Order: sequence, then C-alpha cells, then structure tokens
Amino acid sequence: MTHRGEPLYPSDVPDGAMPYPPLNESASPRGHLPAGVPPAQEMSVPGPAAPGGFLVARPDRLTPGEVRGTNFARAGRGRRGLDEDEVHAFLDRVEAELVRLGNEKAALAEEVQSLRERLSAGGARGGMPPEEAHFQAVRILSQAQQTADLYVADAERYTRELAHEARLHREAILSDARGRAELMMEEAHQRADRLAEEAARQSALSHPQPAAPVPAQPDGGDRLAAEREIAYLRTYSDVYRTHLRSYLEALLRNVDEWEKSEQNALPARHQPPAR
Amino acid sequence: MDAQRLKENFARVAEQGDAVALFFYSDLFVGNPQLRDMFPIGMAGQRDKLLRALGLIVSRVDDLPELVPFLQQLGRDHRKFGILAEHYPHVGASLIRTLRYFSGSAWTPELEADWGAAYGLVAQVMQEAADDDSRTSPPWWEARVVAVERRRFDLAVLRVEPDRPLPYLPGQSVAVEVPARLRQWRFYSMANAPRPDNTLDFHVRLVDGGAVSSVMVRTLQPGDRMRLGAPIGTLVLDESSPRDVLLVAGSTGLAPIKAILEQIAQRAARPPAVQLFFGARTRDALYDLEDLRKLAAELPWLTVVPAVSDEAPPRPGFIDVRPSLDGSLARVASANPPPEDSDIEYGALPAVLARRGSWAGHDAYVCGPAAMVANTVDELVRLGVDRARIRQETFVDTQR
Repeated sequence: MTHRGEPLYPSDVPDGAMPYPPLNESASPRGHLPAGVPPAQEMSVPGPAAPGGFLVARPDRLTPGEVRGTNFARAGRGRRGLDEDEVHAFLDRVEAELVRLGNEKAALAEEVQSLRERLSAGGARGGMPPEEAHFQAVRILSQAQQTADLYVADAERYTRELAHEARLHREAILSDARGRAELMMEEAHQRADRLAEEAARQSALSHPQPAAPVPAQPDGGDRLAAEREIAYLRTYSDVYRTHLRSYLEALLRNVDEWEKSEQNALPARHQPPAR
Repeated sequence: MDAQRLKENFARVAEQGDAVALFFYSDLFVGNPQLRDMFPIGMAGQRDKLLRALGLIVSRVDDLPELVPFLQQLGRDHRKFGILAEHYPHVGASLIRTLRYFSGSAWTPELEADWGAAYGLVAQVMQEAADDDSRTSPPWWEARVVAVERRRFDLAVLRVEPDRPLPYLPGQSVAVEVPARLRQWRFYSMANAPRPDNTLDFHVRLVDGGAVSSVMVRTLQPGDRMRLGAPIGTLVLDESSPRDVLLVAGSTGLAPIKAILEQIAQRAARPPAVQLFFGARTRDALYDLEDLRKLAAELPWLTVVPAVSDEAPPRPGFIDVRPSLDGSLARVASANPPPEDSDIEYGALPAVLARRGSWAGHDAYVCGPAAMVANTVDELVRLGVDRARIRQETFVDTQR
C-alpha cells in the first residue's frame, strides 16, 4: 500500500513513528504503580480531543489486525490485480485513521505540555513550586515560634512582677513587725517599771528596815532592789509575751494565708519523667 | 576561603538581627522536625546565643589559634544537648540557606563555596573535640538530689549525688537541667571541694521570674533527678602562688568561693592567711554564715567577715523578729546587738574592704552579682591589688 500525494497531517509526525497504541508501556506513569493497582481513570482518557481514546474498541476505527487481515478481492474479468474500488476504499479508511491519529497526538502533546507547565508552577491544585513551599513553611513556623516566644516572655514577666510584689510585701510585713515589737517592748518596759516601783513600795512597807543590819540577812537595800528587779522582769515578760503572742499569731495566720495562696497559684508539681 | 568576603557577607546578613536566627531555626526544624525537641519552647534566648556565637566565629575565622579552642569548647558543650555527628550537616545546610536568603542578590557561588568550607571546618573542629571528650566523659551526668536545705524563702542549698564521679576543680561550675524545665540549662558552681562520696553542693537563689531557679529553690526534693553538664570555669585557685588570699563573695557567689576555701584547707602545705568577705543586702540573706563561722573557729589562718549593705546596725533596745526556717516568725534574743552578730560589718563590700585594710600583695577571688564584682575589683585595684592577681566571675545572666 502506498501513499498518494502529500502527507495528510502536520509534518511533526515522522513516518513510521506511529507505534500503534503501546501507550501503556514505559513512559506511562502507570509503570510506577504497584502491581495490582488499576490505572488511574485519567490515564486512559486522553481528553476531549480523542473521545474514547485508544483503549476502547470502536467499530469505525481501523486496527492493526484489521489491516493485516484485509483481503482484497481479485479484479474482475479482463483486469489484472486487485479490485481497485476495494483498494481505494481501504486507502480512504487508512487516510482517515492517520488523520485522526495525527490530531489525537497533537492534542495529547498539547495536554502533556500544559500539564508540565502546571506541575512546574507548583502542582495541579494551585500550589507552588517546592522552593516556595519551603519558604512558606519556614515563615509559618517562624510566626508560630514568635507567638510562643511572646507567651513565654509574658509569663516570665508576670512571674517576675508577682515575685517582686511578694518580696516587697514580705519586707513590709517584717518591717511592720519590727516596729510593733519595738512599741510593745517599750510599753512592757513602762508598765513593768511602774509595777516594780509599786512592788518595791509594798515591800518597803511590809518589811520595814531593821534598826541594825543583820549580818546573816542580805542587805535590805539589795533585797529591795532584787524584789523590784524580779517584779519588773516578771511583769515585763508577761506583758511582752501576751502582746507578742497575739500579734505574732495574727501575723502567722497572715503569712500562712499568703503562702497557701501562692502555692495554689503554682503549677502542679511534675513527677520527673523516667529517662 | 576568602575571610574578608565572609566577614562582609555576615555583617550584611547580621544587620537583619533576630530575623536571621529565626529563619535559621525554622528552616532547620521544617527540614528536620526531630531536632525541635532538643530546644526549649521559648527560643528567644537561643537565637541570641546563636547570633553571638556566629558573630564570634566569623570575626575570628582567619585567626585559628583563637578560634579553635572556642570551637572545641563549643563542641564539648553541645554533647549534653544530645547533638550527634549526623546533626551537623543539617545545621550546615540550614545555615547556608539562611545566609543565601538574607544575602539576596549579593549571594554568589563563590560565597556559597566559602561558607561551605568555613562551616565544614567549624563542624570538624567541634566534632573532633566532642569525640575526644567522649573518650573520657559522658555527655552528661545523671544526678539525684540527696538533701535540700531552704535557708530562706528564696535561698536553698542543694546536695546532689552524680551517678558517677564528676571530676572538677573547686571554683568551677556545671550546667544543670531539671526535669520540670527540660532543655533549659543553667550554670551553678559547686560549693565544695571534691568529696570522696562525689556529692556536690549548689547554692541556689530564686531569681524573680526565673523559670529554673524557682523550681530549684521551691520544689526540688530529695530523690528528684537532674542532669549535669561537664564542669567549666576559670575561677580556680592558683596553687602555685605563695601569697595571702582574699576571698570576696556576694550572695550565692559564695558557692565557688567556698569550694576554693575548702581546697585551701585541704592542701598539705600550710595555708597562707585567708580572709573571706561574705556580703548580702540584709542580715537574713547571709544564708551560710553559721557554717563559715564554724570554719573560722576551727581554722586559725581563716578570718570571716560578714557584711550587710542595706540594713543599719541594730539600735540598742531593739528586738528583732525574723522568720525561722519553718516559715513562722520568731523573736530573736533581746540583747543588742546579738552577741553572735558583733562581727558583722555594715556597708557595701567595696567600702567594707577599704575599711578593713590594705590588700596589696594578695591574690583575690571575687564572685557575685555583676555590679558587686565590678565595683569590688575596681576598689581592690585602687587599694593596691594587682589586677592580674584578681580572678572573678559573675552569675547574673546564667542563673534565671
């Protein structure tokens, strides 16, 4: 069988380069699929330019088997060779098939090109090239990190301020306690002094000074001084103790409360993880 | 490798400041998510450290005698973070991508080659130092708290026992990580000379807002675990010196000073005269004075001088009310001043030092808050101490 006249389709299809449809070989991405996985739908459908594609047998399409199996009738009586009409009819079909194949190939080439372009522009779903995607990920992670840093810094500042206030509070309590203690002591001193004077006077009245000193007895003045001292100390310590106890107890409650609230505010104590 | 080109390129990149380190870490973690766990949640401090280290390395990239020891230390230090040889290439790749990103149109293949060569050198020196170190010590020591003494609401003395001997020089410190604050390492000085039972003491002061110190002071209990890094630090005793020794400690700066004192006490040679000044703002912050006084009573060559800067001497007739260890308030003996406190000097340490004599001819060891150390060193120099004979350390940034 021979061609008649000019090629019927664009010259970019070289002669003889029309391997009938081994599309499912080598270059096909299907080669990467594990065995048993059916080819993806879109692989078997080249596109609207070639409805049905190569894989679906259609009655009007010429197949290699058909070409090989074609038998032309002998020409009629008085003529040599094959039946001219049959040969022409067959050549028409071959021509139509080649045009169709040429068109389909051009459409596919276009399709491949456009898919390649979409891929290099960052994937089929409006994505971005890998480099850009990486920078985007870096940016997102950086923002998340900055947010975390902000929270950590805020928490630290808050703790610092809280601790600072607690420290001031503590110093104020202690200084107040010292001031009150001094006042208390002063008051105790004055009251004890008064009572001691009183005790000494009472003692002087009930134990009048003997006319002559008795050597075995302590000196009357000394005794008087000692009694005054004892009375002073007893009263002083009583007053002081009472005041101090009630005050310190109140203060202690205050401190306990403070400590408790601070402990409640602390995060739960972690058990160290085993490592 | 063109050092000048690297320096110029880095200077240009570093103008973008924090953004550079932010990009670097994000790039590293996007590509290697498993590395994220080696870092704390908050990364601000980490980024500062990275930029400082990079700046330092680049500035000395053509001065290997200076650079190599720094890199070796860096390599050893990184062992405790769990950094392995396989991590170095990822870091290098992220570093190059970061530099390229921030260099913009100034980036050239030559620059990329230079940076690659420079990073290769840095990584090699760090890894070799880490490898050498791994022959003699573990990447970190596991330790167990054996005793906690809370000396004040914000001061604690911890005793810990490492799982294996941790050799160090008195005056050195180790990085500490507690389980409640993973990936946050803080340096604390050992407060004792090495003991046969290997236990270590740490003096910890709660820093307001400090994530780690608050846990160390308030929640650690005997039995709790912690990790310790390898010992570092240069505040160590000059054993070859025959001079008298002046020790000056502010607050928990006492820890390394006390370790040095113990070392002096253990030396076979008769110790020189030693004076220890221990200062704090208030009387109740002199948390270890009792122990120091005991030492001074036992050691004839030791004088301990406590100093209080922010309180006036007690007035006659004054009764002090102090919180006792269990947190309750207690009245302190009404004698005044309390006889046991008659040795306390009032004033800041530099002033007290000036009052207590001339220190020419002494070796001085100073540790405490930055301002206290700076003022003390200046004053000592003014008082005739040779600046080269002063060893110092501050603890400000490291103990949060």
